[in-house]
Amino acid sequence: MITFDHVTKRYAGGTLAVDSLDLEVPAGKTVVLVGPSGCGKTTSLRMINRLIEPTEGRIFLDGKDIHQGNPSTLRRGIGYVIQQTGLFPHRTIEDNIATVPLLNGWSRAKARARSRELMQLVGLEATMARRYPHQLSGGQQQRVGVARALAADPPVLLMDEPFSAVDPIVRASLQDELIRLQGELHKTVVLVTHDVEEAIKVGDLVAVFRPGGLLAQLDTPERLLGKPADDYVEGFVGFDRGIRRLSFFDAASLDLQFDAVLPEDTSAAEAVQVAKQAGEPWVLVIDAERKPKGWASTANLESVPGSARLASVPLVSYGHTFRPDSHSLRAALDATVLSPTGRAVGVDEAGQVVGVTSYDRLRAGIQTAQEAADQARGSAHDRAAS
Amino acid sequence: MIWSWIPDHLGLIWQLTVENAYLGLVPPLVGLIISVPLGIVCVRWGWLYPPVLSGTSIVYAIPSLALFVALIPYTGLSDTTVIIPLTLFSLCVLVPAVVDGLRSVPEPVRQAATAMGFGTLRRLVQVELPIAAPIVIAGMRVAVVSSISLASVGQLIGISSLGYLFIDGLQRDFPTEIVVGMACVIILALAADLLLQGVRALLTRWQRGDADVATRRVLTRLTPGGAR
Amino acid sequence: MSFFSYAWDWLSQSQQWQGANGIPTRLVQHLVYTGLSLLIATLIALPLGVIIGHAGRGGSAVVSLANVWRSIPTLGLLVLMVIILAFSIATWLVPLVVLAIPPILVNAYEGVIGVDRDLKDAARGMGMTPRQVLLKVEIPVALPLILLGLRTAAIFVVATATIAAEIGLGGLGRYIIDGLATNNYGEVAGGAVLVVALALAVQVSFVGIRRLVVPAGLRQGAAQT
Repeated sequence: MITFDHVTKRYAGGTLAVDSLDLEVPAGKTVVLVGPSGCGKTTSLRMINRLIEPTEGRIFLDGKDIHQGNPSTLRRGIGYVIQQTGLFPHRTIEDNIATVPLLNGWSRAKARARSRELMQLVGLEATMARRYPHQLSGGQQQRVGVARALAADPPVLLMDEPFSAVDPIVRASLQDELIRLQGELHKTVVLVTHDVEEAIKVGDLVAVFRPGGLLAQLDTPERLLGKPADDYVEGFVGFDRGIRRLSFFDAASLDLQFDAVLPEDTSAAEAVQVAKQAGEPWVLVIDAERKPKGWASTANLESVPGSARLASVPLVSYGHTFRPDSHSLRAALDATVLSPTGRAVGVDEAGQVVGVTSYDRLRAGIQTAQEAADQARGSAHDRAAS
Repeated sequence: MIWSWIPDHLGLIWQLTVENAYLGLVPPLVGLIISVPLGIVCVRWGWLYPPVLSGTSIVYAIPSLALFVALIPYTGLSDTTVIIPLTLFSLCVLVPAVVDGLRSVPEPVRQAATAMGFGTLRRLVQVELPIAAPIVIAGMRVAVVSSISLASVGQLIGISSLGYLFIDGLQRDFPTEIVVGMACVIILALAADLLLQGVRALLTRWQRGDADVATRRVLTRLTPGGAR
Repeated sequence: MSFFSYAWDWLSQSQQWQGANGIPTRLVQHLVYTGLSLLIATLIALPLGVIIGHAGRGGSAVVSLANVWRSIPTLGLLVLMVIILAFSIATWLVPLVVLAIPPILVNAYEGVIGVDRDLKDAARGMGMTPRQVLLKVEIPVALPLILLGLRTAAIFVVATATIAAEIGLGGLGRYIIDGLATNNYGEVAGGAVLVVALALAVQVSFVGIRRLVVPAGLRQGAAQT
């Protein structure tokens, strides 16, 4: 959808902001440009809507060289969101959002109706339509900024550090909003950030830049974490990348154990037998609705009368649960670490137990997932320019 | 004070007030028409601004009476002799006001407008000038009040205004007339000021609260004014 | 004939430079009126403006003061004074001082109140007493605006003293007023040139004073010339 072809930006005085960049942004995907200050990521972004013109090279949008034609016309077809929002202080929220449609000649009524639609889309109450920007909080203003960028339904959305100016809690919710919106709208999004966590969370593809305007690696978040191209990228991505990579593997692939999961009306004697057969030192006790109650240790069970029900035996807290159907291996690992028995309980949507994992099972699951991912990368070789 | 003089001379007072109003309002309006494009140019080509500012600074230092009399060989003893200097003085206040107003537009707003596809002219008219309006109006307030007050000095070269009441009162040793004249000038000036404040309130409902710091600076810092 | 040729004709007459009505005499008179009024006004208005600014309140009152001051017709005020008081020193000194006070006060206020809050915080954090903060931080930083206020007032007083010739004051305005009365445009033009020259000299002096008194680091900050 967007192609950078040997694009270079050199400033008077010799500063090289972008150095012979080759980059392909696929349609409908979110590509995040990430790197330290002075690495050329913002310059590259702003060359897409011609706020900056390249010194060498060409940029193609949907197959056409963006340099042909009127910049203003190009920009009306590209949404642009910046850190400080740049909302017009002298216009109401709904008129701010309606800006580009009005520029494109829509009637005021139609443009305002569109504003209302978008306000709903980004999660703003309709009562805010007639307010002015200074009356809104930072997070709300940023939502207006996004709505404004989407108003004319452009196929491309450019975002320059859009969430850096708000506090972490608001930032996280805005990132989630973006992911949700993308799920609905499938725009081609190019987002610039200096926060590699944000890049990994939000991006379908992440482009890591080096100081001096060079592209160090272009890859999916999972491959970036799994196989950084060099020491620079590895350092940039940060430590703990092995564990962070696990969030890209589904917990559904785990082989869960269900043998030592018993209802509370089971007798202790029977429980001991089942446990020994399964080779498990702990038995998970579930209630009538199959919700977890707690762990009974096999050793403990041996010392109580065989006829005692599991319900009456002292139990260890079942700890944290995870959802194999929707969570990642990382969540499963986290739940396991946090559980007193070193075993995490997997539940479904209704909270009913579907199985149990342990460190051993996790180890196996992680190894399998990593091997599969490495194999997949091997066959689809990365086309990152570096 | 002989209050009965007032009702006896309402016609005269009114006529002089109208003349003073004319002499006091035309210069700022003409000044505005000149200073908006000039200010835009000074913002676009920033290197022009310091010399323009020096120029206005020099003009502003010149006592009004001197300017009035200097024009006599060219414009005779007509309204124009008073209007031209007052317009120049208005320019001294309005050009910086326009420049400050335009510069008060936050850079992200300007950038966002360009990025959305506003051409330069459209951006100026729809975004930058409306945001600059409060500061420009503050400049107009200064220009209007100063001009109304200064116009009365024109009486010294025979140009009719409320200043007539001062000179006549002096010659006839008649304080009432002078006081009435002063009151009319002050009331006229402050009324115009209030009107402009109303205009600002109407045009800028989007501003948080009353005169912000930038506007107050225009109203107080650009004080070289008053009848000189 | 143009304004300048009239002026030149008159100024080049040697008799204009001698005697009680000569240019040097009138110039000195004008300087005395200006200097005295300015001095008294400064002594009153400068401390007042600094104190109000230091206290941090009164912004709207200051704006109102500036507004009202701007609207007062000085010709009217001068004429009123002479009618009420007959001609004495107070007749011209009082109005000149009263009219010079607002620009000094307002600009002193603006200067002090405009001092960056962070600067004051840092100063206090370093252990300066409030008085030290005022003397060592606020006033020095406010200096450009204080000087601007003084310059504004000075030019204003020069101009008003010119007009005061109408009520019998001496000074360079004498030439303009007398010339108008006797239809001697040469005198009028000559007087105008002299007054303008004086005003510009005052302007330039203040620029010079500013260069001397205000440290280079501050000069860039103040946007006004």
